[in-house]
Amino acid sequence: MVSTALAITLGGIWGPALLTVGAVLLPAALAGIAGRLLRTALLLTLPIAISVLVINLFFYPAGREILFAIGPVRATSEGLAFALETLARIGAISGAITLFYLTTPAGDLVLDLERRGVSPRIAFVVLAAVQTVPALVERAVAITAAQRARGLDTEGSLWRRLRGVLPLAGPVLLGSITEVEERTMALEARGFTRPGRRTLLWHPPDSSRQAAARWLLVAAIPLALVARASGWLGWLG
Amino acid sequence: MPDLAMESVVHVYERGAVRALDGVSLRVLAGERVALVGQNGSGKTTLVRHLNGLLRPTSGRVSLDGRDTAPLRVAELARSVGLVFQDPDRQIFAGSVAAEVEFGPRNLGMRGAELRSAVDEALTAVGLSNEARTNPYDLGASRRKLLALASILAMRTPILVLDEPTTGQDERGVATVRGVIDAAHAEGRTVVAISHDMEFVAGSFDRVVVMSAGRIVGDGPPASVFAASSWEMLRSTYLEPPMAARVGERLGLGSTPTDGSLISALVRAG
Repeated sequence: MVSTALAITLGGIWGPALLTVGAVLLPAALAGIAGRLLRTALLLTLPIAISVLVINLFFYPAGREILFAIGPVRATSEGLAFALETLARIGAISGAITLFYLTTPAGDLVLDLERRGVSPRIAFVVLAAVQTVPALVERAVAITAAQRARGLDTEGSLWRRLRGVLPLAGPVLLGSITEVEERTMALEARGFTRPGRRTLLWHPPDSSRQAAARWLLVAAIPLALVARASGWLGWLG
Repeated sequence: MPDLAMESVVHVYERGAVRALDGVSLRVLAGERVALVGQNGSGKTTLVRHLNGLLRPTSGRVSLDGRDTAPLRVAELARSVGLVFQDPDRQIFAGSVAAEVEFGPRNLGMRGAELRSAVDEALTAVGLSNEARTNPYDLGASRRKLLALASILAMRTPILVLDEPTTGQDERGVATVRGVIDAAHAEGRTVVAISHDMEFVAGSFDRVVVMSAGRIVGDGPPASVFAASSWEMLRSTYLEPPMAARVGERLGLGSTPTDGSLISALVRAG
C-alpha cells in the first residue's frame, strides 16, 4: 500500500525506479526470492506493460517530437517518456504486491487482521481471494490433464493450445466459485458466524522493530507528498 | 489389442525429490485385468499417468505394443488408453451428461450414428441412460464418478485405466463397476485399475500388482498374492488380505474361495 502511494507520489522515472530497487528488489534478494519475484511480476505485468508502451508511444496526444513512423502512426519522444514513467510506477506497484504475496502466508495475514479487530467475515473474504489464484491454477492444470486424457490436443502450436484450453476457462472459474461456496458452508457448520469475540490460539510473530518500520513507511507518504508539492523532488525528473 | 510395457521407469516430480517411481518394470498383456494396490503415496497414480503420456518417465521407457510412447502426444495415446481420474470433478466440465460423454469420442473423430451409439452404450453400461440431459452437478458424487467412467467407455479404447473406481460407491455402484470391467474383459479389452478395495480386487482381476515406495513388491494372480505366504509382504505395505482370503486360508480352502465353498465349509464346521 505504501509502495503504491509512493510510486504515484514520486515523480518521473527515477523515483519509482529507486523505490523498486530499494523496497522491492533488495528485500527480495535478501529473502532469496529475487528470481521468483521477477518472473511472477513480469508475468503479471507484461500484458499491461505492452499495451501502455504501444498506446503511449504511438498515440500520446501531446506528442510532438517524432522518433519514427510506421505508416500513418508516429512514435513520439514525449509518448515514450510518459510510457516509461508509467511503466516505472507499474513496476514498483506490481513488484511490491508480488513481494507481499511471496513472503506473507495467507493464513498469517488473516490471523493478524483478526487480531487487529477485523471481522472474521472480512478476513475470510481476504483469505478466499488470496487462495483463489493458486487453487484456480491447480484446478486448471488438473482439468486440462483430464481433458487431454480424453483426446483434447493441447500440445503443439499456440493456436492449438488456445483452442483446447479456452473452453475450459468457464468450468474452471465456476468450479472455483463452487469450492468457495462449499468452504463457506463448511465454516458455517462449524459456527463461523457465531457472534462474539474469538480467542486466537496463535499470533504471528511481530517485533517492535517491525512495528516501528511500518510506522516509518506510513509516515513516508505525507513526507513524499510535501516534498513533491514543494518541488524538493524535482531532481527525480 | 495392444500390450503395455514399462521398462525401468523412474519418475521424479521435482529435481532432488523422492522417486515417485523407482525403476518400475511391468508388462501388461492385451486382455488382462490388472489391479494395482498399495498404500497411499506408493506411486500407483504416478504409474498409470505414464500409460497415457500425462507423465513422462524421468528415465526408462514406456511402450505400447512395442512402440515407444515418448514421441506420441497425449491426444494420440488417448486413442488407445482411456484413463478415468480418481476425482470426477477434475474431469467433468460440460453442461449435460450427454455432452460430457460425447466430449472424448468427438475428440477422437467419432460423429453421427457412431457417436450416438458410443454415448448410449456407455450411459447404459453405468446406468445413466435416463440422465442424458441432466446437468452433471445435479448428480450425486457416486453417480458423477460413474459418469466419468462412461465418458471414457464411450471412447472405446482397447485399454481402460481406472483410478480407484469403487471409492465412494455403494454396493450397487460397485456392482456396476464390476459389470463394466467384466464386459470390457469379454470384449478383449485390457483393464488396469487402482484400488484399495481388496474384495473387489480379489473378485474382478486376474492379476494383482502390489506397490510400495515407488517399486513393485508383489505381482501375481489373486490366489498367490492373497495367499497366507504373502500376508507379511501385504501387511508391510499396510494392506490387509480380503476377509474371504483369511477365512478361506483358515478353513483350508485357499486364498480365493468361492462363496459356495466358504458356506459349505462353515456349515460343516457347525
